[in-house]
Amino acid sequence: MTTALSTTAAKAPQAGVDLLRIVRINEEIKSVVNVAFKINIMALNAIFLAKRAGVAARGFGVLSNELRVFSQDLRDCMSSLTSLVHGCVNDVSLMLQDIRHTRLLRHAAEMTNGTRMAEVLARRERENERHAASLASQRKQLKRALEDAFRMVELGGVLAKSAKIEAAYGQSFAVPLSQVSSEFDGIVEEIRASLESLRHSAFFAGR
Amino acid sequence: MKTTKTIFQDGDHKWIAIVRDPEKPNYLIDTNEYLVAHGGQGLLLDPGGAEVFPAVFSALSSEFDPSALAGIFASHQDPDICSSLALWLEFNPGMRCYVSWLWSSFIPHFGGNADTFVSLPDEGADISLNGLPLQAVPAHYLHSSGNFNLYDKTAKVLFSGDIGAALLPPGEDGLFVENFDRHIRHAEGFHRRWMGSNEAKRRWCERVAQMEIDMLCPQHGAIYQGADVQRFINWFDGLQVGVVNG
Ligand SMILES: [Fe+2]
Ligand SMILES: [Fe+2]
Repeated sequence: MTTALSTTAAKAPQAGVDLLRIVRINEEIKSVVNVAFKINIMALNAIFLAKRAGVAARGFGVLSNELRVFSQDLRDCMSSLTSLVHGCVNDVSLMLQDIRHTRLLRHAAEMTNGTRMAEVLARRERENERHAASLASQRKQLKRALEDAFRMVELGGVLAKSAKIEAAYGQSFAVPLSQVSSEFDGIVEEIRASLESLRHSAFFAGR
Repeated sequence: MKTTKTIFQDGDHKWIAIVRDPEKPNYLIDTNEYLVAHGGQGLLLDPGGAEVFPAVFSALSSEFDPSALAGIFASHQDPDICSSLALWLEFNPGMRCYVSWLWSSFIPHFGGNADTFVSLPDEGADISLNGLPLQAVPAHYLHSSGNFNLYDKTAKVLFSGDIGAALLPPGEDGLFVENFDRHIRHAEGFHRRWMGSNEAKRRWCERVAQMEIDMLCPQHGAIYQGADVQRFINWFDGLQVGVVNG
């Protein structure tokens, strides 16, 4: 019983730290969502620019369209990440509550004789395990969704780099087109770096 | 661990006070919990905060089978009254909680679900504990705006919640009031500041003065018995409440 008590006590700071980490992940995802929205507007501008440039920027126009689709896909992907993060926040909060209840029930059990309390504790432990298992599964799903997002953004990076090359064929529009494509590239790189750091969050370590 | 003291007994009809925990940290206000038992069933009055649950639970278990608790009576919504609710429900999921209708959607933040709560109307209600008639007596605005005492006319005991509460210094924390004048000094500041309405106080004093009460049992401090009950009512009647400096 003493061992289990200390295990429960050790879990409390872990759950608190998890909550902090998951909140940071959420903040990072929010900033990626903002940036993804920016790409959409940039892509629209780029499409108009390519139309004005005409035949010379046809390739660029196609890529801008692709980037617009990419920004939409990215936003969809981020909204599913957001709901997974919310699921994790919920489960970590439940675990924090479990930890407090378990601590108090254990303390009561230590001070009391009787089998009924042991049953109640066992039921509480089963509930704790259920919440922990749910968190583990959400954590795994979040990790997988982040990997998917990362691969998608790498593809976006290829698009942005191709747009840079295409911009060079834009004749009199080469300068504004390459400016736009550089901005694309910069932003996609920013998102890539964000997701890269999220993939390595300590929240995913060890479990 | 807290101490239990049987303050009334007639066969299996009992009032047990659960009081004073030497291990309780000082930053938590000291509380008294009471169990009314009758015919093998129990009603726990103001079961206390979550942090004191282990001490209350273990003390109660020494006297009474906690799985025979039929319900909890919450005089009002404060955390020192019933933030332990979720823990009691873990032990006894079917248990009911009697509380003012005013708080019946607030207290579930401490635990329980739609089936847990029995809302008490402002005018009060009769509660039967395995045939023992108990009465939820209105004491609104003293201090909570939805506030009840619990009266057991058979035992002549009134559980008065925060009314009559005293913050007793160590060494003067006996279970019963021994010297009224000395005791009441520790109750005065509390009543002036926590009790909000002179009008409500007057109505409460008139109401309880007509009741037969051998013991008036507050949620903090010491129990008034015998002549001290009327002494307390008279004192409270004369006190100006709802006073704050600043
Ligand atoms: Fe209170
Ligand atoms: Fe209180």
